[in-house]
Amino acid sequence: MSIETAVWSRRPQTGVRIVDAHAHAGPYSLFFIPEAGPEAMVRVMDRCGVAHAVLSSHLAIQLDATEGNAQTAEIVRGAPDRFTGYLTVNPWQDPVGELGRWGDDPCFGGIKLHPDLHDYPLTGRRYAPVWEFAQRTGCPVLTHSYDGSPYNDLAQVEEVAVRHPGATILAGHAGATPLGFDLAIEAAQRQPGLMLEVCGSFNTGPDIVRMVTEVGAGRVVYGSDFPFIDLRMSLGRVIFSGLAEEDRAAVLGGTMTRLLQWRSGLER
Amino acid sequence: MLIDADAMLGRHPRRDVGQGTVTQALARMDRFGIAEALVSHSWSWLHDPHQGNLKIIRLTEGQPRLRPCWVMLPDTCDETASFVTSALDNGVAAVRAYPADHGYDLAGKDTARLLDAVAEAGLPLLLDAPQIGWPAVEAIAAARPSLAVVVGGLGYRLLRQAAGVLARTPNIHLGLANLSSHCGLEWLVERYGPRRLLFGTGAPARDPAEALTRLLWSELDDESVAAIGSGNVLGLLRQEARAA
Repeated sequence: MSIETAVWSRRPQTGVRIVDAHAHAGPYSLFFIPEAGPEAMVRVMDRCGVAHAVLSSHLAIQLDATEGNAQTAEIVRGAPDRFTGYLTVNPWQDPVGELGRWGDDPCFGGIKLHPDLHDYPLTGRRYAPVWEFAQRTGCPVLTHSYDGSPYNDLAQVEEVAVRHPGATILAGHAGATPLGFDLAIEAAQRQPGLMLEVCGSFNTGPDIVRMVTEVGAGRVVYGSDFPFIDLRMSLGRVIFSGLAEEDRAAVLGGTMTRLLQWRSGLER
Repeated sequence: MLIDADAMLGRHPRRDVGQGTVTQALARMDRFGIAEALVSHSWSWLHDPHQGNLKIIRLTEGQPRLRPCWVMLPDTCDETASFVTSALDNGVAAVRAYPADHGYDLAGKDTARLLDAVAEAGLPLLLDAPQIGWPAVEAIAAARPSLAVVVGGLGYRLLRQAAGVLARTPNIHLGLANLSSHCGLEWLVERYGPRRLLFGTGAPARDPAEALTRLLWSELDDESVAAIGSGNVLGLLRQEARAA
């Protein structure tokens, strides 16, 4: 059964390993989220046939990296087959300490940066320990990106990719706006370490097809931002995008599965 | 069956959506299994509502899958004379308003008589959430219990503002275009019932895959999905048929 048929027949898809590369968990003060906890997240994943999600707790990104990273780890430990954690690094809240505390913990498979929420530029020196860690280990870094932002616009994303060519950097939301998508594509074409993650409010299937056409299926990854945004919004765009089956499978999960394998590389 | 209660023809100045032709709209509907759509024209939104309204009538003539939707303005400047009479004469199925983009207060005195006439004609009033505040939506709907108000484009940040208004005002409905709160659709149906939700895509600016996947892969039962997919909007449009 194709994924489209699974949607039409209202059954979970089983044909492709779907990995959500951009997830959170828990309440967020700015607006009400029904059922923001991991139990409902797993239920929604099961409803659609999403195998795995990589998440950072809302507490970690919005307020308290220390308590929030502990919360992320607890969520992952509760369902290790369904979740991997992003270690949130807040430049104002002891980046070295957080990396030291959690860097070797297999609960975490990536690092999450949110310069817009922390009023600190992605290019700033306080993030230096993150780039050192990412280059040394191969741990992917997911950063929020937004066209026109003073903290994480595409020029800043590209600048850190230039400075740290050995790092794998996921541009979260791929710039977030139609202009942002264009700029993200151009930056990714110039910087091989830069990948595009497609969640957000303004992306469409045709935008995703353009990203894949311009930078390759191996550098575009599905993410949803759930439970910030419902998982099915972004998922539907990818499913019905018209991408070739192989490319779509890479975007939906193949590429992210590969990116999460960096710890096994360290062990060899 | 799916009926899209939130679609548009015409070009878009800030997105590459093509020419926005009838042919493109029908092809898109075929691709996503959408049987019919309520369509307004982007000229009515971002150029001249009167000309856009005439344009949508011309474009939907002989197109049984496309039902025209007109954009209203306050009648204080005589920009859209005999609006409701004309709308009914032309087979218009619903009325849309852009109070923010068109620079007026939809809940104010300038539009009161026109909204009364829209309600009396049984025409649903369609709104995008970014165009109006919730107190204004509530005031408009509470003053006219027979007026079906459909608010689309909620995004994921507005449940806290909308919840109380929905509880107090049963003639307010929500559209699925960009209704993107995590588990929000199920939460709304549980609290207010499936009759308060209408399928809509926001196409072509929005990808119809969003609303389609959100509805079909929801945790709702098939009966609720059918009501939201088409039954509810048909119920609202039947009010129009009765009035006409």
